[in-house]
Amino acid sequence: MKKSFLTIIAAVAISLTAFAQKQISSNTHMKFFSTTPAEDIEANNYKAVSTLDTSTGDIVFSVPMQSFEFEKALMQEHFNSKNFLNTKANPKAKLTGKVTNLDNVKFNTDGTYTAVVEGDLTINGVSKPIKENVTFNVEGGKISLSSKFNVTLADYEVAFKKGKPSTNIAKTVEISVEANY
Amino acid sequence: MGITKKIFIILGIGILIAGIIGAMLFFKPHRDVQNTDTDFSYQASEIVNEYLTDANKANNKYLDEEGNSKVLEIIGTIAEISEDFNHQKVILLKSATDKAGVSCTFPQDTDSHTVNIKTGDKITVKGVIRSGATFDEDLDMYENVILEKCDIISK
Repeated sequence: MKKSFLTIIAAVAISLTAFAQKQISSNTHMKFFSTTPAEDIEANNYKAVSTLDTSTGDIVFSVPMQSFEFEKALMQEHFNSKNFLNTKANPKAKLTGKVTNLDNVKFNTDGTYTAVVEGDLTINGVSKPIKENVTFNVEGGKISLSSKFNVTLADYEVAFKKGKPSTNIAKTVEISVEANY
Repeated sequence: MGITKKIFIILGIGILIAGIIGAMLFFKPHRDVQNTDTDFSYQASEIVNEYLTDANKANNKYLDEEGNSKVLEIIGTIAEISEDFNHQKVILLKSATDKAGVSCTFPQDTDSHTVNIKTGDKITVKGVIRSGATFDEDLDMYENVILEKCDIISK
């Protein structure tokens, strides 16, 4: 009797886990890309954590800024410095948003869906509203996300006053996001 | 030798030196974390609890303004072994009673040192800290301490 009771508890616990609507991903990729006539600069970050609630459409990304890796050490130091992203004071960037067209995204059916995410992006301690297109791909119950959008650095009070970085980094940079939930 | 010629030679040498310094800065290699002296050694629980107690104070202590943050050696029990989007091995050192752990990422060049390890093993990992442990209200979960450029120094 006791054994069957435990079996029922276990079965309920397992099914609850299977139906959990909050998906977590630490299998992510963020890319920062800047292009100017002087040079192209790229940095990659694989350490962001994201959650996606498929029932409410709530989506969150938390990005450890010091994990952006540049090809050149000097660029990476500039990126982290007080003049630019001030990562010692603001070690994480964050996106909190909501899928606004949840009716068009069937997380339980295989397919590719274009979603609109509206929310706030916080970089360098400055929060701004954003609204961007996101592509969800559902395959065999696994959800993956991809998006590409532009960020104007001055909006987040990220600006070089003078010197080489001010001419070699674009005013608007492209951010690519990928996540496998 | 005329005075003009001397000035030109000195000027030429000056420009050459400035050029070399500029190029050295521009092509400066990344810091080799494994060949950098360890700043602090802890049990995984110790650094996690230090961050959960006062994250600002811990950030001040461990993070560097230019991203060359402290190099840590962490002793802990392997709770999980996974792979990230870049196919790098990720080992989570976490005690079962702690709310968060230390997530250690191994680049391709140290990956071969991680082949014979398994969940439950107690190991010491050296790496550079990128961010600390915290409870994030938006994620509604605890985030781990993140170490990158890791290698296993004892098992």
